[in-house]
Amino acid sequence: MDIIGNLAHGFAVALSFQNLLFALIGALIGTAIGVLPGIGPVATISLLLPITFGQPATTAIIMLAGIYYGAQYGGSTTAILLNLPGEISSVVTTLEGYKMARNGRAGAALATSALASFFAGTVATIVVAGSGPLLTSVALSFGPADYFSLMLLGLIISAVLAQGSVIKSIGMVVLGVALGLVGTDVQTGQQRFTFGVPELSDGISFVALAMGMFGIAEIILNLERPEARSVLKTKVGSLWLTKEEWKRATPSVLRGTLVGTVLGILPGGGAALSSFGSYMMERKVSKNRHLFGTGAIEGVAGPEAANNAAAQTSFIPLLTLGIPANAVMALMVGALIIQGIQPGPRMVEAQPDLFWGLIASMWIGNVMLLVINLPMIGMWVKLLQVPYKFLYPAILVFCSIGAYSVNNNVFDVYSTVLFAVFGYMCNKLKLEPAPLLIGFVLGPMMEEHLRRAMLLSRGDVMVFLERPISASMLAIGALAMAAMLLPNLRKGKEAALTG
Amino acid sequence: MKINAKDVASGALLILIAATGLWLNQDHNLGSARRMGPGYMPMLVFYVQLALGMIVLAMAFFNGPDPLEKWTKADATMLPVSIIAGTLAWYFAPVFGSFFENTYNALGLGMLVGFLVVCYSMGWRLLGFICAAMCIFSLLLEKGGLMLALAATIGISALAEPEHRARPLGVLGLTIFLLAMCWWIFIKQLDIRVAVWPLQY
Amino acid sequence: MMSGLLPRRAWLAGGAAMAALPAVARAQAAWPAQPIRLVVPFAPGGTTDLVARLLTQGLTARLGQPVIIENRPGAGATVGSAQVAAAAPDGLTLLMSNVASQGVAPSLYRNLRYDAVRDFTHIALVVENPVVFVANPRFVPRSLTEVVRFAQEAPRGLDIASSGSGSTNHLLIVQFGQATGARVNHVPYRGAGPAMTDVIAEVVPMMSDSLPSAAGHLRSGSVRGVAMASAARHPAFPEIATFREQGIDAVSNSWFGISAPAGLPAPIVERLSREIGLVLADPAVRARFAEIGATVGALSPAGYADFVAAEVEKWRPVVLASGAQVD
Repeated sequence: MDIIGNLAHGFAVALSFQNLLFALIGALIGTAIGVLPGIGPVATISLLLPITFGQPATTAIIMLAGIYYGAQYGGSTTAILLNLPGEISSVVTTLEGYKMARNGRAGAALATSALASFFAGTVATIVVAGSGPLLTSVALSFGPADYFSLMLLGLIISAVLAQGSVIKSIGMVVLGVALGLVGTDVQTGQQRFTFGVPELSDGISFVALAMGMFGIAEIILNLERPEARSVLKTKVGSLWLTKEEWKRATPSVLRGTLVGTVLGILPGGGAALSSFGSYMMERKVSKNRHLFGTGAIEGVAGPEAANNAAAQTSFIPLLTLGIPANAVMALMVGALIIQGIQPGPRMVEAQPDLFWGLIASMWIGNVMLLVINLPMIGMWVKLLQVPYKFLYPAILVFCSIGAYSVNNNVFDVYSTVLFAVFGYMCNKLKLEPAPLLIGFVLGPMMEEHLRRAMLLSRGDVMVFLERPISASMLAIGALAMAAMLLPNLRKGKEAALTG
Repeated sequence: MKINAKDVASGALLILIAATGLWLNQDHNLGSARRMGPGYMPMLVFYVQLALGMIVLAMAFFNGPDPLEKWTKADATMLPVSIIAGTLAWYFAPVFGSFFENTYNALGLGMLVGFLVVCYSMGWRLLGFICAAMCIFSLLLEKGGLMLALAATIGISALAEPEHRARPLGVLGLTIFLLAMCWWIFIKQLDIRVAVWPLQY
Repeated sequence: MMSGLLPRRAWLAGGAAMAALPAVARAQAAWPAQPIRLVVPFAPGGTTDLVARLLTQGLTARLGQPVIIENRPGAGATVGSAQVAAAAPDGLTLLMSNVASQGVAPSLYRNLRYDAVRDFTHIALVVENPVVFVANPRFVPRSLTEVVRFAQEAPRGLDIASSGSGSTNHLLIVQFGQATGARVNHVPYRGAGPAMTDVIAEVVPMMSDSLPSAAGHLRSGSVRGVAMASAARHPAFPEIATFREQGIDAVSNSWFGISAPAGLPAPIVERLSREIGLVLADPAVRARFAEIGATVGALSPAGYADFVAAEVEKWRPVVLASGAQVD
């Protein structure tokens, strides 16, 4: 089968007026909910599913996919402007993006995010179209032991997210893993560390944790430093990227796209690793690594590209195996089955309109998001010029409603408050919240894969070294650990000798 | 002295949480390496955290000085006072009516009282008002409706900013604007299921 | 997961009436005057969610009010069930009752916050579907007898995956192990999707899965059916032999139905039961259910209540034998 012909067929399907219209609607809805803290794509798609019953399957799935990408784009906006990450991928965007905004480069950060996402989305779409079925074998070559080692590697390298002491940030990673333990144990169903609170049986809410430790704690800290706010108001640079910024961002985007495309294929949690995997890479290989932590454009460009590339390639397991990689995909499977279509390896032959139409619409959706988002940058930057005394009650109000609407339960608002206090305390102790959130997300996956690997190997630890993928991950992890700790120890020793 | 007070506190915090975790984890079956029980992973995690906490603590004696921010006398006394006040309010909440018999409403009242009491000292004032604002939102939302809850949240959060205290009219304008905006976004567009006006249910 | 969005205008409309009349009386006057919320105690996208969405499509048209799905997953479907058990019996809150929260949970959870029979008005059984053993096509043993022999001869025994501990899929593995004495190693997953991935990837050779979730993979040939836990061969997959045919007396069905809080007025029960019956009689709906391997159930409200009570008793010894117990 020739890809060009198939893609041409796909574009013919996707470019029909109705499909274009619904792709646009989906992208708009997605952007809107992505911007609002706490309101995610799963809830929105679940709400909109009944509307799709009356539509042809292709149109329905194109709209749902539009919401999914739109939410990714919108989430970066609040991360950059207000230090409010809506999901794990935008936690990384806050690190450099929010700093850029504080330096008066909010426009450039938003533009970088949109352009990097668009470029990565284009490349990843071509990958999905060209070699999706081929890449399935990559997804299937990862066993539980390999996933465990991948997660462990992810946790080790996430310590570099922090600016300060490596030991302290590893401590925060481990604390995040500990928080991730709260809830029902998957293997036995037993409740752990829930103190009999039914709301905790599914674990601590990510939204409450992220919103509290980042968004709300940041409000309190900003109010404490009136001088930082005036900087924000007066310094508004050009909305567009300077030549220098283009030059710095481009290689990062390329690397980020590669990282995201590969990790997105892995259904056992690869996509969650993509954005900060790219951030870690940029901090190690970029020419401007000394600028990280002060608003380096590379730290926005790479992760944003990786995140969007992973969002596209995570469709591969769905399209080729019929297995959803995340909750949004699971809903799409539901929508397809209701339409009488079984996603899976036979979909390419049985439903060529749908399959190639979806792939073409992935790209069209990315174009639309670019078109929607670029003109809005000016508006978003204006938002920052609103005096902070008027802005912070608004953020607080949106966060309160967002936290409540996650489960329609006040419990989530109270947990947000407690995590805000904790985040404030961590800031005073120079403990950074980003590694904690990574640990929180990866920890439960790591435990699951560890226990499954041990169950299948009958308790033989050698399984982690016998499998080549796992062994190489562990080797990289050990090297990274050594590279991080050695300078630190040396510094400590010098300090001890001189002091 | 080269003591890093921030790292001492960080290390102590990590150790404290790890020790608590290990203590709570006694309830969980460890299982074997082959079929790990619910307690196996927590045990590993908390031991690693304990070790890291100790390293942070040990290194704190060499990589300072990095003192904590100064606490005034009021800061130091108001913290325990507010915790006691909050706990008392939480404990006696059911006395104030059946609404507070609900676990979370009682908890919310305790947190609100605690955060408001701590505002008495300058050092905690911003933290106190912002957190109290979110607590009053949750307390008022289900019975009082979204509009009342939002108005109260904006009102309390405005206390955190001296400029607002000087010009209450600006706060009123802000409140009206935000109420209208939230109504349009969350009620008109997103249809979230909450009461809008008092005593709607 | 946010889920409980209901059109608020509808709630506003009911506000005034609500203050004046007791809930039950008002509901009887012109039921349904407001949108109905159907609590699905599982995450969106799963089999239960799918069945609920297929049903609500028809039900919305027949009742003249939207029936809106509210996903309340958590703690083996008991969070959503407990919520409905505590709701007002006004016909505006319904539950997608199911084998997990109504059949298995009473024996599995030591501190369950509801009584699976007495705290609900059970209205109608919607569908039933069998549990099926599937295997990777490259897994050598074909019949159950060969599987048992493999499990006894292989030095490490046999791994079988399931969608989670305490699920009917897991319990069938337990039943199978007990009936044959085979050395079976249960490998639990977080949902059927990841488990199926690992079966296709040959990480685990076999899996116990509900038929609707396995149907697509069986049709595409990415997995092979080994044995079906139904009384007779399943019409959608007649090529898969039953457990009974292969000498093991195990019949295991997942089922889904509609229930409401206890004390739902009789007229509403009758109306709902009738309308659900009509939706399920629709050939298009039947065909859609048949495609995913689910059989439409036909039970009166009283019949469904007895059915649930019988299921609770049926699962008690199985759960006990599995050793699974949750606080």
